[in-house]
Amino acid sequence: MDFILHDKETIAEMLTSIGVNSLEELFQDIPADLLLKKLNLPHGLSEPDLLRRLEELSHKNKIYSSSFLGAGCYYHYIPSLVDFVISLSGFYTAYTPYQAEASQGYLQAIYEYQTAITRLTQMDVTNASMYDGSTALAEAAIMATVATQKKKLILLEGIHPEYVEVVKTYCWGQDIHFEIVMEDTLISKLDESVAAVLFQSPNFFGDIENVTELVQIIRDKAPKCLVVQVMTDPTCLGVLKPPGKFDIDIFVAEGQSFGISPSFGGPGLGIFASKQKYLRKMPGRLIGKTNEIDGEREGFILTLQTREQHIRREKATSNICTNQALCALASLIYLVSLGKTGLQEIALQNFQKSHYVKQKLATIPGYQILNKKPTYNEFLVKCPNVNELIEQCKQENLLPPLIISKYFPDMKDIVLVCVTESNSREDIEKFIHAAQKASNKNIGGN
Amino acid sequence: MDLKFPADLKYAPTHEWVRMDGDIATVGISDYAQHKLGDIVYVELPEIGAVLEKGNTACEIESVKAVSELFMPLTGEIVETNGNIADNPAFVNSSPYGEGWIMKIKVSNPDEIKNLLSVEKYQELIEKEED
Amino acid sequence: MTSNLTLIFNKGTKRSQHNFIPEMDIDKVDLLKIIPSSFQREDLPLPDIPEVKIVRHYTELSRKNYGIDSGIYPLGSCTMKYNPKINEVITRLPAFFQIHPLQEENQGALELIHQLSELLIEITGMDGFTFQPAAGAHGELTGILIMKKYFENKNLKKNKILIPDSAHGTNPSSAKMAGFSIIEVRSNDAGEIPLDHIEFAMQQGDVAGIMLTNPNTLGIFDRQIKDITNIIHKYGGLCYYDGANLNPMLGICRPGDMGFDIIHLNFHKTFSTPHGGGGPGSGPVGVIKELVPYLPGPHIIATEQEFVCREKTNNSIGRIKCFWGNFGVIVRAYAYILALGAEGLKRVGQMAVLNANYLRVLLKEKYHLPYDRICQHEFVLSDRGIPNEVTTEDIAKRILDYGLYAPTIYFPLIVKGALMIEPTETESKASLDNFVNVMNKIYNEAKTAPELLKNAPHNTPVKRLDAVLAARNPILHD
Repeated sequence: MDFILHDKETIAEMLTSIGVNSLEELFQDIPADLLLKKLNLPHGLSEPDLLRRLEELSHKNKIYSSSFLGAGCYYHYIPSLVDFVISLSGFYTAYTPYQAEASQGYLQAIYEYQTAITRLTQMDVTNASMYDGSTALAEAAIMATVATQKKKLILLEGIHPEYVEVVKTYCWGQDIHFEIVMEDTLISKLDESVAAVLFQSPNFFGDIENVTELVQIIRDKAPKCLVVQVMTDPTCLGVLKPPGKFDIDIFVAEGQSFGISPSFGGPGLGIFASKQKYLRKMPGRLIGKTNEIDGEREGFILTLQTREQHIRREKATSNICTNQALCALASLIYLVSLGKTGLQEIALQNFQKSHYVKQKLATIPGYQILNKKPTYNEFLVKCPNVNELIEQCKQENLLPPLIISKYFPDMKDIVLVCVTESNSREDIEKFIHAAQKASNKNIGGN
Repeated sequence: MDLKFPADLKYAPTHEWVRMDGDIATVGISDYAQHKLGDIVYVELPEIGAVLEKGNTACEIESVKAVSELFMPLTGEIVETNGNIADNPAFVNSSPYGEGWIMKIKVSNPDEIKNLLSVEKYQELIEKEED
Repeated sequence: MTSNLTLIFNKGTKRSQHNFIPEMDIDKVDLLKIIPSSFQREDLPLPDIPEVKIVRHYTELSRKNYGIDSGIYPLGSCTMKYNPKINEVITRLPAFFQIHPLQEENQGALELIHQLSELLIEITGMDGFTFQPAAGAHGELTGILIMKKYFENKNLKKNKILIPDSAHGTNPSSAKMAGFSIIEVRSNDAGEIPLDHIEFAMQQGDVAGIMLTNPNTLGIFDRQIKDITNIIHKYGGLCYYDGANLNPMLGICRPGDMGFDIIHLNFHKTFSTPHGGGGPGSGPVGVIKELVPYLPGPHIIATEQEFVCREKTNNSIGRIKCFWGNFGVIVRAYAYILALGAEGLKRVGQMAVLNANYLRVLLKEKYHLPYDRICQHEFVLSDRGIPNEVTTEDIAKRILDYGLYAPTIYFPLIVKGALMIEPTETESKASLDNFVNVMNKIYNEAKTAPELLKNAPHNTPVKRLDAVLAARNPILHD
């Protein structure tokens, strides 16, 4: 299979126009000993053969009837129109909108995305997207050190462990120091040398922090220190008070929950928003509204580009170029499809259904809910027999919850359960049943 | 090009102008510099109280597609900046020697002043650059 | 004056929308029992919009946007080639699209990543790959961090890096993010790297190596590439290959054979995955054997029974992104390579270069071609000699009037008023001839009716927009 249009005669004709005798002559600058004799790869495949081959491969992955796994990647219902709209070729097959006048459709859509996120988060400004939640958090960390001219960060315990690793990698690159601290020792660690405190809420273990209190503690002890919040499932903003109302300086989130399929964890969407005063330090693209030079119509354009690598090169706020535009578009379509009513209702269902499961589990012998704070759609459960629970879930064709010792080896016999609106009553009963059976087995076995 | 270069000012080879008043130097960018930069969209004003040496970067001036640095023409402390150009960076284009001034420096080494260029020398320098 | 624009937010109705909310099938409790009221938001300023209105709104917007499905997209260094539709079907296969990154039963996904790695090793001549980086610049950062770690482990203080003046802007920016300072190498009159400059720089002892793209942004293959990499290696340095321009090298010449130690690829360029208006991309990084342990984990290893992953090795730079990278994009690239096979990939390299040279010889009749020699995937024209002070931007805007997209403009920086043109292999001769005709017409218009260009575009949804106003008074949301 290929996507070439020239026949032999056309190639010959074009070679003549160029003034060479063969295709090989076009590569005359390449030293002969570097020219490849042959790629040792299989022959190409036709479309039906390719499809069959990859279908077979895909079947080596399992899909479940329902999921109780979250931990940074979530199953929410995706309206059909999301994939339809992003697949329109004016969006799908476009490049970054460098020529604004021929890219008004996409520019307007991303301006609408910036508007939707700004309204949802109540932050002042939102960029056109970052790669994902983890890299958005790392970029926020760096931005805070640039804005404050300080090189020390505090990460509050409870940030997604893979996000912490990404922040660590980025910080090592720029010689930025950070420390992970428990909430009760935060005050003692705060001083004027800290560029920012980074925290996740709802956090990796499911806890919703008392953000008002947290921000107050930081402002009191270190007034110039920035407060950075990260979120892995922002559907909770349908009900929860948004970061802009808590005086958060930089807000980042993984936007996968907004209309993007899990797809083995990528692509997702890095949501990035900040206060107006840090606008010039923000990484990534920004779309602005403007007017025609010689006319009355309004239009959209890439703006404040002097922050970016193609102009400022090594002095740029970040090296990001390609972002996740199509995922930003998907999240916009998701948000406007659900609308105010839908977003509120989805968040409510996540609260209610996970609460329901929590209550039910707590009544089964051997299970204990570990969260002391309010939770959204995830919570920690101590189990009588983790492996048996996982096994029972699989037997019910349920994607089992996360065994938390994968990331925290000291936390034994604990799972992180995720319940969303996508879990029906029937799924939930199956899960409870699986937990019950695991409990019975354990008691029987002992 | 019809560019103006007031004779009562001193100039730095990096295209800043300086107007002395006692030990206070008012600084901006020359008509030539603003013309080269094109429409200025943003000036990140230097921090008041900063003490910087001659040749250090004092602040950045941005047009739509370029960023250029404003260098300290003299060593000293930044005592005042022109807040008006934060909201109206176009002043730097329309009135580089007047409303578009950028900062005032309390000069700490007056000997440096005589190393600045006279208007004649500065115009010679520009002609060379244009070649 | 009423605005010409209607944003989606103005299309709301008072009727609330419930289309996408499953029925609540459990008994609710009072929400205040779950979450205190002080944690709850008071207002959610988003409208309720009927589905029909949403689909019409975005269908209309998509029509106001050029894509590779509209026609030639000659952006230099962007490799805007046709995106095969089968790849969209494959990436949406439920057992790829719906799987969770942390689920255990993932052998198909691991096998795919492992197989793709093997294919890329053959295509590029490297020894190992990571797929975590989400885009080209992200791959650059990963690669440069590997360099940093490598010298740290050797206890060598090498904090500078050589980057030619023709490099993509991401190169210096990525190097800076890894803590390197940049030594810019000036290209010579032939657009190539002067050997004595890099030799001198390497002699200083604090230079880690070089970041290069070859063919470079002028579309020129550096004939002394082997000498360049030899010099860097002679002084213990490492050579980084920016894979943005790999397309013309497919099946022709491999970065590994040129002497590169670390490379990144852009799946959304060379391997046909859709650019999506600016992502998602995928920027895998390949390295030589010695550097494989430095790659971000998890590493996928094939045992006799199954594919397993090792979280990370001692020398690994650590994670650069959550989970496995942009898997949905990785699947498309894998499908593309399997579809084309050895012969198909070589055909890509050949036809990309044929198309670029064909445009080059036809366009240089009227336009100034500063580096006049055989090119690879792209070439660069300048604005020299364009009549009546017509600028590169004016030409670009006028191209839009003819229903085509403009080349990359004002880049590379080493050519004044640059027009950087890369047609890719998926354009027909008729399409290329049409582009030449349009460019020639525009040249004639510059002579006879320059105002037509200076006020261009005229036929687009809006006329030329005021970038100065946008930057002076940023309006970033409604």
